[in-house]
Amino acid sequence: MSETPRPELVVDGYPKKRPRWIELTTSADHKDIGRIMVAGSLGFLFIALIEMLLMRLQLAIPENTFLSPVAFNRMLSDYGATAVFLFAIPLVLGFFYYVAPLQVGARGTALPRLGQIGLALWAASAVVLYAGFLFTPSEAGVNPLAPLTELAFLSNNGVDAWATTTGLATLGFVLIAIDLSTTLRNMRAPGMAWRRVPVFAWAAAVGSWLLLFIGPVLLAALTMLMIDRNYDGVFFADGSGGSPLLWQHLSWIFYSGAYMLILIFAFGAIAEVVSTFSGKPLYNRGVVMGSLAAIAVIGTLAWMQNMMTAPIGIGWMYFAMLMSLALIVPFGLIVFNLIATMIGGALRMRAPLLFAVGAISAISIGLGAEIEQSMVAAAWQLKNTTDATAATHFALVGGAVFGGFAALHYWFPKMTGRTMGESLARISFWTMAAGILLAFVPLFFAGAEQGQVVDAYKFFEHTGVSAYNLIASIGTLVLAAGIVMSLVNAIASRENGPEAGHDPWGGDSLEWFTLSPPDPHNFDVLPDVRSARPMRDIREAIAHRTGSAERPTRESQPVA
Amino acid sequence: MAPHSPGTDQINTLLWIGFVAAAIVVVAINVALFYAVRRFRAERGAEPRQLSGGRRLQFRVGAVLTVFAAVIFVLSVVYTDKARQTPTTGSAGLASAKTRPLNIEATGQQWLWRYTYPNGAFSYYKLVVPVDTAVVLNLVSTDVVHTWDVPDLSGKRDAVPGKVNKVIFRADEEGNFSGDSATLSGQAYASMRTEVEAVSPDAYKAFVQQQKADIEAAQKRVVGLIQNGEVP
Repeated sequence: MSETPRPELVVDGYPKKRPRWIELTTSADHKDIGRIMVAGSLGFLFIALIEMLLMRLQLAIPENTFLSPVAFNRMLSDYGATAVFLFAIPLVLGFFYYVAPLQVGARGTALPRLGQIGLALWAASAVVLYAGFLFTPSEAGVNPLAPLTELAFLSNNGVDAWATTTGLATLGFVLIAIDLSTTLRNMRAPGMAWRRVPVFAWAAAVGSWLLLFIGPVLLAALTMLMIDRNYDGVFFADGSGGSPLLWQHLSWIFYSGAYMLILIFAFGAIAEVVSTFSGKPLYNRGVVMGSLAAIAVIGTLAWMQNMMTAPIGIGWMYFAMLMSLALIVPFGLIVFNLIATMIGGALRMRAPLLFAVGAISAISIGLGAEIEQSMVAAAWQLKNTTDATAATHFALVGGAVFGGFAALHYWFPKMTGRTMGESLARISFWTMAAGILLAFVPLFFAGAEQGQVVDAYKFFEHTGVSAYNLIASIGTLVLAAGIVMSLVNAIASRENGPEAGHDPWGGDSLEWFTLSPPDPHNFDVLPDVRSARPMRDIREAIAHRTGSAERPTRESQPVA
Repeated sequence: MAPHSPGTDQINTLLWIGFVAAAIVVVAINVALFYAVRRFRAERGAEPRQLSGGRRLQFRVGAVLTVFAAVIFVLSVVYTDKARQTPTTGSAGLASAKTRPLNIEATGQQWLWRYTYPNGAFSYYKLVVPVDTAVVLNLVSTDVVHTWDVPDLSGKRDAVPGKVNKVIFRADEEGNFSGDSATLSGQAYASMRTEVEAVSPDAYKAFVQQQKADIEAAQKRVVGLIQNGEVP
């Protein structure tokens, strides 16, 4: 019996490693792409803050002349595009793309090239928006309503740049969503049934399905806008068969869906943080997961909640109100389950939990105010006032910034191997909490009581909103200072933070099974998933095998 | 806002209902959060109880939330319906508007409101209406989307090119009600304000007649100047 010769492996030296930044930016690894998106979107958060501060400076005193009306409108348009398309959605997708494949035990993503193209398109969109030396920025506002965007009213190419920015970014998001939803559908570890998928990974799945629906709707609207402006189209022009309202319907479908996407992300991240830091599984996973899916569907169907003053039939307004108020049930159930998870737990008040609790609180104020914004006749008074601004900002700053920072503090050790500084995180949190209240509560009063309108570059002394606006401007400064502290904390901790280890918080999901930061292939061995808390099972199995007398489950680990 | 029209009275009530609903939500969530965070610290040394919520409790919570949402929905429909109703002209109002409301056209244009009265007279910026009279404003736009917003008299409504939107109100006392536009319409958007002046029916009639006479005189003068060749 002759033995078959063993295959011979000849190594003529390793392939030369290229410089780190080339490796990083040309990588198709979901972790590299996710890290770049998270870091980049936090950079754009800083830029959005500066734009917001400049606008609030203009609105600090009545009839201020700090910014000209044109400059203010440009700032407003760039702020909207930056906050939504360069900060909030990419932050959400960056975390989804980094964490969710790890959580379901995937060794990579299904279609990594799509992620790479998505990142490149997003980067290109940022370049287009801020290449302001080539063209003047758009003056048409956050959601520029047709026909103001038509060539007849804004003839410079600012609106084209805005449409290109949002179009490129949205296309990129859709590509990433395709990759993400495919990965979560097909590449889960053995035993990782949908009912065992971590809530954050479920939020990623729901979020990417949602983007697959709303992304193309906005892309269609933007294409029509570009045809209108550049090829004599009449989609949104009155007469010749076009309709200005068409733009409102299509764009609000996207914006309502994106609003829900951000909240779905926030609640997914908050659920992970709350359950880890209270040492308990989620009170009822199934209800939370079902509610997240319901929010995606119902929230998007409520798009006409933004069109209560438009010439649409009263029946459509009631439909929008019905959908908006129906959201009370899934949102309420989620918040109930989150608080019920904390009750009876052993809470470790570390930075991630602090930000998570702050996020729930801020979102509750925002969505509470949205209830009133949805009640038809009340909406006739409140829409397009600063009351609406405050409601949206409480919900979205609560979701994307507080919720995003909860996610950042929670997964930062996984991404970098180091923990973010705890004391600076606390100072940052309390500054931000004071800031958001000071910045937006006065706007509730200015809008609901005095009817101060949105997007205006100045207000008048006799309308009685001067004090509210001054406090709001100071509050925005405080909020910005708090946010900048956390950004500085992240930058400083990346190299110099305390070493975190692979499982710093004692989480239940599989990303804590990998190294910090994870190897390119994520897992050496694919774990066999037997429950919704696979990491806890692994810890118990190890304890059992090593025969340690006390079983070091997460609950009895010492408080960090 | 201080309601000065039957519609805004209803809206004001609904606003308070909405405020109470929002306050219930915000207070309930934040009190529960505060309690959970204060009471269940790890420092107290208690082991976390591995509770999980049964289906029955979730159904109960869901039912409470559904009832809460349904109550808000029904109340909103009731008050919205009342706010939409066309008021009848009162005894102090314009006699000719007793059977059907006074129709005035409001045209939004960058960056001014133009009001056209039934007799063909028009005015810019300021709308003059008779007090205690049902007024229907037909909102149209010649360029971009504008939103007519005089909070004391009515909820806001968009003037969209190619569409007609309606605002219905009845000013309950004489006086000036200031308002503005509430949709970004370009550079001078913040200055695109408006004012409604409610006057006695006689003063209103005098105003529209005077306005019509002035406009005709001015037009006649311009036509004359053109015919004389003084204006190229």
